[in-house]
Amino acid sequence: MTPFERLARTPIAALEFANTILTERDAPIGTTPKDAVWTHRNTTLWRYRSSKRQYPVPVLLVFALINRPDIFDLRKGNSFVEFLLDEGYDVFLLDWGVPDESDSDQGLDFYVCDEIPSGIRETLRASGEDEVSMLGWCIGGTLSLMHCGLDPDTPVRNLLLLTTPVDTSGSLYFNWTARDSFDVDHVADVYGSVPGRQIDWANKLMKPVTNYWTTYRRLWQQIYEGEGDFKPDAYQAMAKWVADNPPFPGQAYREWITFMYKENRLVRDRMRIRGKRVDLGNVDQNVLVVTAGADHIAPRQGTLPLLDMVGSEDVTHFDRPGGHIGLMAGSRARKEIWPDLAEWLGERSDR
Amino acid sequence: MADKPNTETAPTPTPEQEVRRLYEEAESRVAKATERIVARDSFGELLAMVTENAVAVTRIGNEAMDLVLRNLRVASRQDINRLTRALGRTEDKLEQVLQEVERLRDDLDADASSNGSGTRRASGSGSASGSRSGSGSASGSRSGSGGTTRRRTTRRSSSS
Repeated sequence: MTPFERLARTPIAALEFANTILTERDAPIGTTPKDAVWTHRNTTLWRYRSSKRQYPVPVLLVFALINRPDIFDLRKGNSFVEFLLDEGYDVFLLDWGVPDESDSDQGLDFYVCDEIPSGIRETLRASGEDEVSMLGWCIGGTLSLMHCGLDPDTPVRNLLLLTTPVDTSGSLYFNWTARDSFDVDHVADVYGSVPGRQIDWANKLMKPVTNYWTTYRRLWQQIYEGEGDFKPDAYQAMAKWVADNPPFPGQAYREWITFMYKENRLVRDRMRIRGKRVDLGNVDQNVLVVTAGADHIAPRQGTLPLLDMVGSEDVTHFDRPGGHIGLMAGSRARKEIWPDLAEWLGERSDR
Repeated sequence: MADKPNTETAPTPTPEQEVRRLYEEAESRVAKATERIVARDSFGELLAMVTENAVAVTRIGNEAMDLVLRNLRVASRQDINRLTRALGRTEDKLEQVLQEVERLRDDLDADASSNGSGTRRASGSGSASGSRSGSGSASGSRSGSGGTTRRRTTRRSSSS
């Protein structure tokens, strides 16, 4: 570009940049057709029907309590759900919905002992199968793991855990929340349900320059150098998902921070839910653990103890480059991790 | 002739490229420095204090607003939360009843199929035996049982 062209390009790029940011809320995400199979409180079990169903064992997706599960179905052409359907799986998604203050009494036990078992039960009834593969991501992985540790008879055949925190010591969250001066009861009592914006703010504060500056600088660069060819779809879909932060129910927040960070109970084998000990030795499912090398939210070293703690004889570990979310939803996920997950699952999803 | 570094293979960066490289290097260093700052204990203390203050201010605001609304005889957020919780409890009980009904229906179907006289329901759903003892848990054992297929129409259905 000549200096004159560069000068002329600047206002056009600025307009395009503003338009991309201002219209990100309109980006379509989670568009794969689905049916609501079951609802309870805010929870909905969605079913995505595969037209080429090949494997009898359905896949149940469980996401974290922060952000929405649309990340599983981000956008057409870059959707994990779409990928699984193409591979021939019947896919179900347990969506926690958007809790509010009136849900502040919902603790971890509500999710682990009520909603996940009910979600599994309804998945089995809807699919007509006896077993299910459960895929949990982040907190969703920990909740799924707790469920399997609590109920040795659960009809989960395969357990896939993506970037799942188990031993939180040494993580940045641990440094922030495990200290005595962080009064989690005060936060949970006053807010009822902790606003999603605050959780998001804390997440972004872990990498402040990257999240608050570099993201936008890179966007500008792409637009400026794209010379009109820039496609905002990928950026907008991700930005919309990142900005969609449901509140974290107060009791669940209190227990999550206290049990997992302040007392680090899971790895110390002292986690009790509704009076029952979560015994990871009970986890005899086929287990796949996926860690991301650059994960700053659930660092790899915090997940690895799991490999020795579960009672399963079939434990596989994939360690891949990428961040907490980028691992599964980044532009390279479709080629680098999804086929491996499908292959692992395929070998364990026959009758 | 003395050896000279081969400068032909590596093209000389333009001033613009050089500026960009320097900028990106600086940005990367600032990013790493801030990440080190937020990982420090003192930052954790600061964050805890800021959070406590923000929460305290929120509580004062909420209480003042609730007081105003109550004096105006308008339902406040607390009142609505109380009602919503009561609804939630009712829904929990309904869900338990539903699970119990489904379990009984499974047992009836299992009995009927073991007697060789299958029943037909309006929904067309038949279900297999294999539900475990205790309500609220998923039916079907890991080894699989019965061999009959459990299917039923979905209770709510909507497409997005």
